[in-house]
Amino acid sequence: MNAMKAAITAAVTDIVYRSCLYLDNGNWGEFLNLCDDSMIYSIKAYSVEIRRDMEYLSHNKKELGTLTEMLPKLNSDHSPLRRHASVYTVDIGEDGETATAVTSLAVYQNMHDGINSHIDSGETRLFLVGKYLDKFKISGESALLIEREVRLDTRRLDKGTHHLI
Amino acid sequence: MSAKNHKQWKIPAFEQGDYVDSRIYSDQNIFDEEQDKIFKQVWIPVCHESELPEAYDFRTTSIAKEPIIVVRGKDNEVRAFLNVCPHRGMRIERRTAGSFSDGQPSGNPKHMTCMFHAWQFDMKGNCVDIPRAKEGYQDRLTKENVGLRRLRCEVRFGGFVWVTLNDKVEQDLEAWADGAFECIRSAIDTEPLEVFHYHKAIIDSNYKLWHDTNSEFYHDYMHYHNRVTGFNDEYFARTNKGFKNGHVNVNSFTVQYGEFELGESREDLSFPGFPPNQWYMIDLFPGMNFNLRGSALRCDIVTPLGPNKVMIEFRGLGLKSDSQKDRKTRIEHHNSIWGPFGRNLHEDLLGITGQGASMQTGSEPRRILHGRHENNLIHDEIGMRHFYDEWSKWMGRNPSDPMDEQRKVLAAE
Repeated sequence: MNAMKAAITAAVTDIVYRSCLYLDNGNWGEFLNLCDDSMIYSIKAYSVEIRRDMEYLSHNKKELGTLTEMLPKLNSDHSPLRRHASVYTVDIGEDGETATAVTSLAVYQNMHDGINSHIDSGETRLFLVGKYLDKFKISGESALLIEREVRLDTRRLDKGTHHLI
Repeated sequence: MSAKNHKQWKIPAFEQGDYVDSRIYSDQNIFDEEQDKIFKQVWIPVCHESELPEAYDFRTTSIAKEPIIVVRGKDNEVRAFLNVCPHRGMRIERRTAGSFSDGQPSGNPKHMTCMFHAWQFDMKGNCVDIPRAKEGYQDRLTKENVGLRRLRCEVRFGGFVWVTLNDKVEQDLEAWADGAFECIRSAIDTEPLEVFHYHKAIIDSNYKLWHDTNSEFYHDYMHYHNRVTGFNDEYFARTNKGFKNGHVNVNSFTVQYGEFELGESREDLSFPGFPPNQWYMIDLFPGMNFNLRGSALRCDIVTPLGPNKVMIEFRGLGLKSDSQKDRKTRIEHHNSIWGPFGRNLHEDLLGITGQGASMQTGSEPRRILHGRHENNLIHDEIGMRHFYDEWSKWMGRNPSDPMDEQRKVLAAE
């Protein structure tokens, strides 16, 4: 791997991990700063029940901004989500202007509300597992997210969430 | 008077019928009775025909703990059977959906095969092969003597597959629904529909609390989305209408989707004969909901798992003839409100989770009110009262006094 490829790989990996930290902390603005203006975010899953690929959520960058700004107006579960991610692969396009990354993802929920907060608060439960399938725009040795597909394995999502995954 | 002790709290200035006793949501015996007296007796939608589009496709499900398989035969008929082998009681098909076109390790293509001892059945439920039957059973049992347990099944109301465990069900499905679907009939029956969304939630709450939530609109105060898109004169003029057998529907109004920051008018995409941006709701006894809103149809099917546990399956549907662009639009509209990451569904599920936490088995009996009377208008809680009138008939219990305690006290006095 030449130095440029190594630098791009490091930049892509850094963005994936930073995105996890920002999303964990509800630092939506910082997350959006990792995204190009053309960013498309989606949550998808394949249903073995209806044997179809499904899209659970889809937004562009502007809509993501609106969505996150709206969160204080919505009644939501107070239990924060915590991501554990491992960047499995980073592939740089032949033109050197794009890259893709596959990241294994587990999202835990640290119970605040739970079913009965008196009992459940402090417990950590597995919320979902899946992958981040990310695409990046490369400029020199820096990268910006242009597409994130959260590909879920988990489809029993119980109460769900208002938050980005 | 402000806060009240238990006795004071139990006696609101309401008549029976304007409240229920919370034990109907938490008592194990009542739950067990409901399975036998209601869920094993009535029509339940179990899936949509588009989930088994080809001959030999199947879908498995359950009603009141009885495993069910729905198959499409080579004659294109959809049939339902107990998913149980008549030999040793093994569940025949373990997958949730698929096709019998291909063979299985124990069986031939185009057959349902019990993997345990390789008894094979055709799509009409006939047993077509018992390995070494003559040697084992001589003439005491042949394949002609056995078959799958057939269940009554109809495909109706937008292509949903309805099944009843009751061989002697008194009403066919059309009569059972009693016209509750007429308000959206042309929209869902003019051309075939197709499922595009499925997910499930298992919630520590009673199934009736989910149906209650779907039956009352007063909780729209919980939804920021509904407050900004709906609360106007037209919204408050919507009416609830009761039908026989405990069903209710709610008539429509024009939703102002554009008032929501992430909203987008549904004006350009609707259903056949359905005016744009409209919203009809049908609540079917004992716990099914059909929600036609703008460009998408939502269907909720409950499977009660215990007095304080329910599985809810959520489906989203559009037209089978949708272009790729229209389908994407329907999906986005559906999921922005009703998906697991949408604006409203999470809030509704938080609501019944909180109720489930406060009404666990053994908790202090409480009176749960549904006593708003507003001339059947949108925040009138007539939908729940209508449901519990029907529940009372099937259960032989008064939901306001399910243990017969008040009646006994009055009789003693």
